[in-house]
Amino acid sequence: MTTTPAPPTGGHVSRRSRLALPWAVARLGFQRQFAYPQAALWGLITNSFFGLLRVAVLLALFGTRPQVAGYTPQDAITYTGLTQAFIMAFSLFGWFDFMRVIHRGEVASDLLRPASLLGFWAAQDAGRAVGQLVLRGLPMLLIFQVIWGLNWPPGPLAWAQVVLSVLLAWACGFLFRFLVNCAAFWSPDAVGFGRFAWAVLGLGCGFLMPLAFFPEWFRALLAWTPFPGMLNTTVELWVGVTSGAAAWAALGTQLGWTLALLLLCRVTLRAGLRRLEVAGG
Amino acid sequence: MIHVEHLRKTFTTRTGRFLSAGRRTHEAVRDVSFHIPRGEIVGYLGPNGAGKSTTVKILTGLLVPDSGAVTVGGLTPWQDRRRHVARLGAVFGQRTTLWWDLPVIESLRLLRHVYRIPHATWQANLTTFTDLLDLGPFLHTPARALSLGQRMRADLAAALLHDPELLFLDEPTVGLDVVAKERIRDFIAHINREREVTVLLTTHDLGDVERLARRVLIIDHGQLLFDGDLARLQAAYGSQRELHVDFDGPVAQPEVPGLTLLSHEPGRATYAFTGAAADPIARVTAHAPVRDLTVREPDIEATIRRIYEGDLLRAGIR
Ligand SMILES: Nc1ncnc2c1ncn2[C@@H]1O[C@H](COP(=O)(O)OP(=O)(O)OP(=O)(O)O)[C@@H](O)[C@H]1O
Ligand SMILES: [Mg+2]
Repeated sequence: MTTTPAPPTGGHVSRRSRLALPWAVARLGFQRQFAYPQAALWGLITNSFFGLLRVAVLLALFGTRPQVAGYTPQDAITYTGLTQAFIMAFSLFGWFDFMRVIHRGEVASDLLRPASLLGFWAAQDAGRAVGQLVLRGLPMLLIFQVIWGLNWPPGPLAWAQVVLSVLLAWACGFLFRFLVNCAAFWSPDAVGFGRFAWAVLGLGCGFLMPLAFFPEWFRALLAWTPFPGMLNTTVELWVGVTSGAAAWAALGTQLGWTLALLLLCRVTLRAGLRRLEVAGG
Repeated sequence: MIHVEHLRKTFTTRTGRFLSAGRRTHEAVRDVSFHIPRGEIVGYLGPNGAGKSTTVKILTGLLVPDSGAVTVGGLTPWQDRRRHVARLGAVFGQRTTLWWDLPVIESLRLLRHVYRIPHATWQANLTTFTDLLDLGPFLHTPARALSLGQRMRADLAAALLHDPELLFLDEPTVGLDVVAKERIRDFIAHINREREVTVLLTTHDLGDVERLARRVLIIDHGQLLFDGDLARLQAAYGSQRELHVDFDGPVAQPEVPGLTLLSHEPGRATYAFTGAAADPIARVTAHAPVRDLTVREPDIEATIRRIYEGDLLRAGIR
């Protein structure tokens, strides 16, 4: 009441102020990743070690064959480097933050603010993902490049498709993680369900193995799930296993799943909030 | 500003484990109705587990009631959550709404975007609150490192940056020392006076109520037992005033006609009376030579305690 708020002046200003919040939240999510540089360093070392191990296993699988399921040994190394690089950015080992906030009743603080809950968490996770990409992803790619040499997308179009695919993979993955975390609205011990979901994610998104290495029937099954779009699609675009019209189709599928998961998240969140029991006080 | 009609909320808790589990329902709020006009401070009292926080959670849109009608400034909290919370501030003494790992000032900056506060308003409010609540020394400290009193002050500032019309306070002074309590009370009084903010104040500290609220609501076992002036509560249910007398030596007969003798020992006696003190004093001094006299006022604390313990209001006088 010290000053009267200025009346809204045109679409431009209001769009800017609409984006101000997600931007600020994402920036904080990004900065937060740099609070513990030591943890990031040790994480990087661990990831590198396991990356090395995974490369060794995959190369043993190739034996003397020049190609397995359309992958050359060089592709397989690139696949490993990429998946190791995205572990943290895409939270492939799981993510329980929102679940914890629900269980502790801290979600009340979020609900007391006139902002979209899903949007707030998405912005925060986006910032976090970029932070992890910088801290852990890029160094990992550099390490792989130095030791083995990576395959890189062949041209500007391929690069554009890869970047688009990374964004969609993050969005798809985030929405899936958020959805799984919403189980906390219904169960005080949703953590077990979460662990199961992350196991399915690890398998289905091609983190354990390139999906191309799996039997035909299993791939056919996975094609009906959003999981390949959370990592595998991106990797295949990068190494060039998917290209041309198939590349656009793959991106379209990612987009479709993102929208479907978004809808599902909104419906689930609405239902969850109706039965929320904010404990304490 | 706040209209509550026949509000009910039942919690279902599972007892036991696995499939054999039974269900127990608990009526946390039953048939509560009240109205609060704009600009008023109302104290919301009741013993532990009475249903105070549950009511506040419903009014702030955090819980959906089983039945009853609630409108706050024309909106139904749980149906119009985002528009509703944009106009209110809330402080829950038991938990913080600040981001725990961010310096206080960063949380406050983020809130500027959350509520889309014009920069000038935000700056002016920050300056005022920093001054009134003495936030300066810890503006750059992360919320997790604040002492309880500092955190509560920071939370208060955070709840009011966007000039809300309404303020919900659930035990805002819990665990604070006397000086800190006083500071927070002054601040709430100031905000209410200068900005006409409507305040619903839940507390176990009657000092808060006596300092801030003229009107109180008393709830127990989910039912509203009293809604009215603190003074009326005191008049109707307060203990009587007490007259403590030191006589000029032992008196054989401490009873005085027209006064109730509460206790006595040689040379001393305590009487209870209602109304003005002049008449009882005259009676006592006429009865025997008196060296000293004191009149002790009944305190609101004792009244409320009597109400909680003795189910004084349960007969349904409201
Ligand atoms: N989420 C919940 N699940 C089950 N029961 C609950 C829940 N929240 C509150 N209750 C019960 O509802 C009743 C009212 O609780 P509430 O928190 O409103 O009390 P209160 O008046 O704020 O008490 P206090 O002064 O101790 O804070 C209590 O009996 C409590 O056990
Ligand atoms: Mg309470």
